[in-house]
Amino acid sequence: MKLTRRDFAAGIVAGIAAPHIITSARAQGATIKIGMCAPVTGPAAESGGYAVKGAKLALEAVNKAGGILGKQGELIVEDDQTTNPGIVLAFSKLAAQSDIVGFLGSIRSTQVHAMAPDVLKLGKPVMIGGTDPNLTHMGNKWLFRFRPNDSYSGRVIAEYGVSTLGKKKWAVLHSTDAFGTAGGKALTEALTKLGAPPVLDQGYANQSQDFTPVVLAIKQSGADILGSYFTFENDLGIFARQLRQLGVNIPWVGSPSIVNITALKLAGPALHNTYGVADYAEQSSEASKAFGKAYRDAVKVAPDNQSSWTYDAVTVLSAGINKAGSTEPEKVREAILSIKKFPGAEGEYNFDQNGDGLHGYNIVKNDKGNIVFDKHIEFND
Amino acid sequence: MDLILQLLFTGIGIGAVYALVALGFVLIFRATNVVNFAQGEFSMVAAYLMVVFAVDLGWPYWLSFLIALAGMALLGVIFNLGVYYPLRHRTYLPVIIATIGASILLANSVLAIYGPQPQVLQGWFETPGIQLGPVYLDSQYLLIIGVTILLVFFNFWFFEKTLLGKKLQATSQDKEMASLLGISVSTMIMITFIYSAVLGGLAGILVAPVLFVSIQMGSTIALKAFAATIIGGFGDVAGAIIGGLALGVIETFGAAYISVPYKDGFAFLVLVAFLIFRPQGIFGERVAEKA
Repeated sequence: MKLTRRDFAAGIVAGIAAPHIITSARAQGATIKIGMCAPVTGPAAESGGYAVKGAKLALEAVNKAGGILGKQGELIVEDDQTTNPGIVLAFSKLAAQSDIVGFLGSIRSTQVHAMAPDVLKLGKPVMIGGTDPNLTHMGNKWLFRFRPNDSYSGRVIAEYGVSTLGKKKWAVLHSTDAFGTAGGKALTEALTKLGAPPVLDQGYANQSQDFTPVVLAIKQSGADILGSYFTFENDLGIFARQLRQLGVNIPWVGSPSIVNITALKLAGPALHNTYGVADYAEQSSEASKAFGKAYRDAVKVAPDNQSSWTYDAVTVLSAGINKAGSTEPEKVREAILSIKKFPGAEGEYNFDQNGDGLHGYNIVKNDKGNIVFDKHIEFND
Repeated sequence: MDLILQLLFTGIGIGAVYALVALGFVLIFRATNVVNFAQGEFSMVAAYLMVVFAVDLGWPYWLSFLIALAGMALLGVIFNLGVYYPLRHRTYLPVIIATIGASILLANSVLAIYGPQPQVLQGWFETPGIQLGPVYLDSQYLLIIGVTILLVFFNFWFFEKTLLGKKLQATSQDKEMASLLGISVSTMIMITFIYSAVLGGLAGILVAPVLFVSIQMGSTIALKAFAATIIGGFGDVAGAIIGGLALGVIETFGAAYISVPYKDGFAFLVLVAFLIFRPQGIFGERVAEKA
């Protein structure tokens, strides 16, 4: 067979175009893929398992209801090892797969900070659970938050402690990572605005083995109430036990980790009668109850915020893609931002232009190990 | 004063845990001239064995304790045969790397078998602690301190007064000479690994009710214990105990009076200071003097 110049040119064009056509065909494949960075190993591996289960449960519901753009959704999970380098690596692995249309990042702010530059570079929507207010205020338009940020939790903790419990002498305890520092700062600011600046502002390093110096500092400060931001449940468990052993029984209102399943198991009675701000409270709404029931039926353990935020993230991302009618990132972004009054397990989603979907918190009480819904405090500013 | 006493008690308690693990480091170093970086994982494995027997199977605590320690002795044998023995004629570097590999293998094996969930292990006593005047004494820390003191005496008696102890000492000091005197060096090293695994396991079981049982618990303690051995003088039994206790007290007081977030920093600051100004540690001899 004689090779003509036209055949040769056609061959070259086909050779150059083939990878793009194949990639494009793959992108338009049988499923719509969602990438998820989750701690499969490391200190948060247990809660990471709950997060993956929540996401899978949501995707099952989405697929049953017709899927995403008429196709079945598929979840691709990468282990973030509960570390910052780990999540950067996990995200880069996922980002390399061009057919993944959206992602779930971390519930830990410090990890979201670590991956944020790569998210900006990639330019695809990433759902996050980290609650450092800065995450959605640093010019990264691809981050969408599915838990209320710490400016709300700080305000709710302060509001509840000062107005409902009537306490004015606060000890604020927080981890020194991004989450804890931002949370502690937000709580201190809220307390100052309410005319009750903390008498003690104490940071601690994650994975501490002993909190005696911290407990003694709280005791010496004369505080009549404690507000806390703990990142890891192990730390929370050790601190709670030592706090009670050393005779400190002041009211304690904590960030969401104080009411999660692992913390309750580890600390046991040491956490009885404490209060927590909870983005997820099973009795707070019909959607929350429905998620709670579905999760209990499927996973056989009580639901908490580790699973509820990923459940909502997958549900809203899928709804956003369906609303956009496309997987084109900019269109999906606009669709998510236009979502209002969307009933989720965590609460009612009303996205603002920063990407924050929720604007209030529930207050719950640990009543002898049972988490009881008390009230919801919502902010409109 | 109340504050100082409370901090002192806690510092000694946490320091005693470092000391127990440090002791394991020292014994293996003396016998083999290598650092066993899986020593922390011995603690973790023993704590998980306790969870299996005492919590999951519901066996009596004392029985679970004995079985867990027996399991650790077996692990010591396997570790010696599988990690040290094949590399015994090589330089120290391959052996150290092998212990690091074994540490990763142990941590991930437990993760694969038992999952990542941290577990709760009850302490020996029903009462969590006693109030002695202004100081609260955690019963588990009291037990840890008591066991450490007992081990100091036991080690002295064992290594100085028994034939087996003297054989172990002879082996650690000069293997060739020990061998010429009819001591089975490989048996002595095997016994050392068994004893170190049991000691590490004991530390893990004792500290588990305080720190919870998790995959990371071993590595967290081992890092401090390693620092304690350097501070005390690498290869010295008394140094390991003193180094561990000193480290616990320094970091507790440093956290209370200087900065809580930099608590771990104090321990390693002391370590760096020793490495610069007294690399042989508190009780160690200079290499030249040793020769």
